[in-house]
Amino acid sequence: MFETFLDTFSLFGQQLVNGITLGSVYALIAVGYTMVYGVIQLINFAHGEVYMMGAFFSFTMVTAFGVNFWVAFPVTIVLCSILGILLDVVAYRPLRKAPRLAALITAIGMSLFLQNLALIIWGSQIKAFPRPTLPTVFFEAAVTMGDIIITWLQVFILLVATLMMAGLHTIIHHTKVGTAMRAIAQDKVTASLMGINVNRVISFTFAIGSAMGGVAGILVGIYYNAIWPTMGYIAGIKAFAAAVLGGIGSVPGAMLGGGVLGMAEVMGAGYISSAYRDGIAYAVMILVIIFKPSGLLGRSTLKKV
Amino acid sequence: MRVGIHIMRFGPNAIRFGLLAGAAVVLLAPVLPLGDAGPYLLRVATLTMLYMILALGLNIVPGFTGLLDLGFVGFYGIGAYTAGLLTVHYGISFWFIIPLAALNGALWGILLGAPTLRLTGDYFAIVTFGFSELVVLVIRNEIWLTRGPMGLPGIKAPSLFGHVIKEPWEYYYLVIGLLLFVLFVVRRIEDSRLGRAWFAIREDEIAAECVGVNIINFKVIAFAISASIGALGGAFFARWFLFIHPDMFKFWESILVLCLIVFGGMGNIRGVMIGAAVLIPMTEALRYLLENLPPVMAKIGLAVSAETGSKLVQARYLLFGVILVLMMRFRPEGLFPVARVKAEMHPDKAILEAEDASLYDERKVTDVEKV
Repeated sequence: MFETFLDTFSLFGQQLVNGITLGSVYALIAVGYTMVYGVIQLINFAHGEVYMMGAFFSFTMVTAFGVNFWVAFPVTIVLCSILGILLDVVAYRPLRKAPRLAALITAIGMSLFLQNLALIIWGSQIKAFPRPTLPTVFFEAAVTMGDIIITWLQVFILLVATLMMAGLHTIIHHTKVGTAMRAIAQDKVTASLMGINVNRVISFTFAIGSAMGGVAGILVGIYYNAIWPTMGYIAGIKAFAAAVLGGIGSVPGAMLGGGVLGMAEVMGAGYISSAYRDGIAYAVMILVIIFKPSGLLGRSTLKKV
Repeated sequence: MRVGIHIMRFGPNAIRFGLLAGAAVVLLAPVLPLGDAGPYLLRVATLTMLYMILALGLNIVPGFTGLLDLGFVGFYGIGAYTAGLLTVHYGISFWFIIPLAALNGALWGILLGAPTLRLTGDYFAIVTFGFSELVVLVIRNEIWLTRGPMGLPGIKAPSLFGHVIKEPWEYYYLVIGLLLFVLFVVRRIEDSRLGRAWFAIREDEIAAECVGVNIINFKVIAFAISASIGALGGAFFARWFLFIHPDMFKFWESILVLCLIVFGGMGNIRGVMIGAAVLIPMTEALRYLLENLPPVMAKIGLAVSAETGSKLVQARYLLFGVILVLMMRFRPEGLFPVARVKAEMHPDKAILEAEDASLYDERKVTDVEKV
């Protein structure tokens, strides 16, 4: 009796740990969606591709160029930020005044473009970080409680996610550029009248969001030991679901949404049906959009006439 | 500076002659002396017409009502599986299956559209996307019903008065028949009260509501009709290809159809058909070209490995991404625009000023802000 309880508990506990890990990664990606949406009301479909590129950038560095993982990690962040800025400057900036439909279609086009570009460069086979290129400590248990094992990798993921979120919070609320971001989110025209360089701040937003997406890409690439060109598409849409769940435009919402969704996915896969693992995210997203489009922490917006 | 592809203007007679000549070629295609390539070309032509049907169907939602629908392939898949399963299990005739599949598509369109169409544009786009992904997941996982990842083989070909349709040219005329039917329906709707209500919604939802257009109802009708055309296309596909698989109904298929209508001109029936007529054969040509790239390049002294070749074949959709981005950047109204859509897409252009020269126009005041 007691032993079955323990078994059930340890399974649940392990799922809980996995859910938190996955959730923090989703939150990292979701922040990128939500920041861009908050500032220019665009669903940046290509964000999932930035995440995928992040995984591939670091993979290429550690395998083809033999770069140390701890060097590849920050370099990937920089590369992804540049990719984000490029996306904005090349694709979205010319369409600032165009209807939303045009920008949305451009976002889809960029996503398709990047995904296939990755396919050409790296091929469609699933790649994995070779074990020797990674710090061995990642795969050792940090905490063992009965059958529940938390690896250092999971600790690292959680730590990185937390640090980045804290950093993001500081940037948004305690720096000049963060204030400018919030001003633009409220009213672009007035913000520009107050001397804010709107385009530069928007590009900065893309850079930050993409950096976080790229980090998430590396973390997931190591965690699941798999990188492939279409990985960004599913992860992207799940992260978007997380952003919607938390209330799109709200950064704390994205964190909360990511956590809830990661947990729901792991628990759903563990206890309901693993075949519908991906479906859980879509279902959550559709239900939230129908019943509470403002999300958990978002504010409902009035239609501007 | 506006960069754009300027379509040459022809006189009415030249257009009429061109259309007649085109129609003659299309109708007589099966008897043209094409040699061994004949059946292949007819297959490509059939595929093109199928995509014309799909483009006409999708066009209703983004083109006529101005809402982005990213889940069109979901209805296409529903139609295909409806047709496939009804054929395999009950042996129902093609001519009954087509309306049944269309009805099933419409039903799902209403089920999805009724609760979600009150959402703003991008939320709606995301919901449709999620829906189509769920459709694929259900098809993949409900193996008892759909055989899941094994696909559904053994679908019978349609028959007409006891004659089984199997030759490429027979399918070719069959798809022409379906296309003409869909074209007729869409044309009639475009010119009706329904069509005018949709255009009113596309141009200004709030204004439309103010003059008494029940926008939710009209949007749901648009979505249902679009879904039923998608399902109809799917039903034809199932009875033509005779094998269906969940992977055939993935998200990128929706984007492909979207690309056709964006290229041709959203909202313009003729435009979206031309979009399909240009891009689908082009995709096929591209695939053929890329598949034969290594030997061809070897002839001119460039070594392309077979691996690179197969990568390029897989990645040919890259082109569609580029088309979408470039079209939105330089000619968002498509190659054959509708004047109204063109005005919408260039809010800061003289067209808009000519359209309504009132002093207090919110579109001018919030020009920069309204994105």
